[in-house]
Amino acid sequence: MIHWKIGTAALLSAALAAGSAAFLAATPLLAQETVKLELWSRQDPSGPLRPGNVVKAAERLNKELEAEGSPKRVEVAVRESPAKGFDDDALQLLKVFGIGEGPDIFIAAHEWICAFQEDGFVLKLDDYIAKYPQHFGTIFPSLWSSAKCPDGTYAIPQDAEARMFFYNKKLLREAGYDAAFVDAMPERALSGDLTMDEVLEIAKQVVDKTKAQYGVLHRPNKGPDYIMVFNTYGNDFIDPATGKLLLERDKLAAAFGWFERGVKEKVIPANNTAMEFDALRKEFYTGNAAFWMYGIWDLGSVAFPTYGLPQDEKAFFADWGWITGPAPQKGGAPVSLTHPIVYAIAADTKEPELAVRLLGHASAVDLNTDHAVTTTHLGIKPEQLEDPRYAKAWPLARATELLKITKFLPNNSQFGELNGIIFAGIQGIESGRLSAEQAADFVIEEASATLEDVTVK
Amino acid sequence: MTTTADELTIERRGRAGSTARRRTNFVIFLGPAIVLTVLFFVVPVVIDIAVSFTDLSRSLRISEFTTEQYEKVFRTDRRLSQVIALTFIYVFGTLAIFNVTFGLILAITTTAIRNVSGSFFRGVWLLPRMSPSVLYILLWLWAVSPTEAGLVNQVLMQAFGLDAPLDLLTSAPIALIIISNGFIGASMGMIIFTAAIRGIPEHLFHAAAVDGAGTFAKVRFITLPALRWPISFVTIYQTLSLLVSFEYILLLTKGGPFYDTTVYALYVYRRAFESGQYGYGAALALFLIVIGVVVALIGWRFFDMERLLQRPRIEVH
Repeated sequence: MIHWKIGTAALLSAALAAGSAAFLAATPLLAQETVKLELWSRQDPSGPLRPGNVVKAAERLNKELEAEGSPKRVEVAVRESPAKGFDDDALQLLKVFGIGEGPDIFIAAHEWICAFQEDGFVLKLDDYIAKYPQHFGTIFPSLWSSAKCPDGTYAIPQDAEARMFFYNKKLLREAGYDAAFVDAMPERALSGDLTMDEVLEIAKQVVDKTKAQYGVLHRPNKGPDYIMVFNTYGNDFIDPATGKLLLERDKLAAAFGWFERGVKEKVIPANNTAMEFDALRKEFYTGNAAFWMYGIWDLGSVAFPTYGLPQDEKAFFADWGWITGPAPQKGGAPVSLTHPIVYAIAADTKEPELAVRLLGHASAVDLNTDHAVTTTHLGIKPEQLEDPRYAKAWPLARATELLKITKFLPNNSQFGELNGIIFAGIQGIESGRLSAEQAADFVIEEASATLEDVTVK
Repeated sequence: MTTTADELTIERRGRAGSTARRRTNFVIFLGPAIVLTVLFFVVPVVIDIAVSFTDLSRSLRISEFTTEQYEKVFRTDRRLSQVIALTFIYVFGTLAIFNVTFGLILAITTTAIRNVSGSFFRGVWLLPRMSPSVLYILLWLWAVSPTEAGLVNQVLMQAFGLDAPLDLLTSAPIALIIISNGFIGASMGMIIFTAAIRGIPEHLFHAAAVDGAGTFAKVRFITLPALRWPISFVTIYQTLSLLVSFEYILLLTKGGPFYDTTVYALYVYRRAFESGQYGYGAALALFLIVIGVVVALIGWRFFDMERLLQRPRIEVH
């Protein structure tokens, strides 16, 4: 019996010794700590690298952490939301934060950032941005202003673009305008010589004298582009003195008047807001509309691949072109709009420092250029202009010309809701339910009734 | 003695047993329904009332208890009167034209013809109800597409020589939502009325024929009086269902153009979920519940539903 006991003891001791040795050997591995950062991103075919670049950036950050001898490693988990647009997505995300289930990092349209800031969901970044100049030091200063709320910076610009009126030169020539006139339109628009009403006039000629059915088409749902029209008629929507929403009846009515004249002249279709996005694009890119009010990325994501518009610069500009938002009257100021998408970090993330560094790497010149050239968005740093790929992507270079006159949507936490009311006003006008004056009153009444702190003049 | 005592004991036990059984039966048969009703109707109503007295908005945070939502409903909401008016037009239009009248016509005609053809036509009319709502509305969107390719426009332009295509979604949106909902609503009335017509003893029709009654006289004096109860039920049931459902409208017109087809239930949805005003949406929803209860009670009294629920009325002995 005794030898059994000795044997058992020996076995146990051996097992213990082996276990301890294995444990000690594995200690460095066990000490390595994986930090899981959750990234919320909308499924958006016009920017798959917005989340994609963050995932790639994790590899770079991990190498950096390894070199520093840090035991931490970052892992990014992407949570995709099926929201149809950035507004829906923001409302969805606000609810998710509201029940305490928010992600660590999220991607949003810049005008929503102060809504997150107001509820304390988003991290203030000024100190971090100053701490990591190697990542954030060269981002265009103008883009930072789109990421600011009254008390500081709350987001990191991820891209920019330019919104414009695309136009079909072939149709204009068919309608009787000579090539010199057609080709000079962009310059005239930039100098304030071409007016909003002249666009309607040209569009009317096209509808009357060619087979094309439509004069001017715009997006069918709530979004940024048509705000250009309001900007050009002097609506800035923000009182510079107080930062509150500002509605000026006469300026609103002037902008709505342009839509009203467009529909009366049968240039803007009465059912524009009932049409499908893809159907509208098809009408324009297949030569059934003179103008299409949208943004530069549409070339890369739809016009070239789907409708086969020429990708060569010279060939493209032979039959197609774009103008900036024209002035309301001769000699006035033209407008363009850029709508930056931003990265933001949750206020309650456990690892804010790592999240900031991760986004720093995601904002690297090469990664951001990958996104810019594949989806026709503008970069965020001047160094990107030197990248041969960026230089080759002529739509970017040409769209950058508009940045000197470009405006942002107001960074007001209620602008998203106000925009919904403005869109309803446009819908009311186009479907013949409201006049321009009534639409201005409608926006003022509706905004005063449902939003807080609206100044009306 | 003992036998009597035993009988008494058995009787008592039996009585006790039946009381217990009655209670058990109550729990078994009505329990699940009561639990479900409380869980999915009473509790949400209580939550809705609670939320309507808060400032719950897009980030689901409550900072104060307030009556401001009700002030908004009564004072500042200028859309509301238009929305309520439209809701009544939509509900009564759909009911009067399709759910009751057209359902009745379908039931009478499909039972008057041969059984095989009748079943075939009833089957056809059931298709909209059986197909998924998204698919059904997609077909509508293709049919009323404002281009020349739309089915309605093809028919009008090629068969009737119309010059330009019609855009019904912009020019007649209310008619469209009534028709698209009505095509589905009619089939329910059709089934119930068909079953009721089948329940009318055949000898009554023979007797009427002997008396010289024509088709219309048979419908007028035999079928319709026998259908009084099913008609009452379909009217009340469909009124309530039309008041609160909006999926087909949302898919077809999104409540537009402008607010033209935004019925009350859709208005609540738009306010709450499209702009994140959940507290206000809850206050509006509460009025919808009140309207629903009032309509149900009026219908109950008007159609004397109490008698309907006592015993079947269409059996003639």
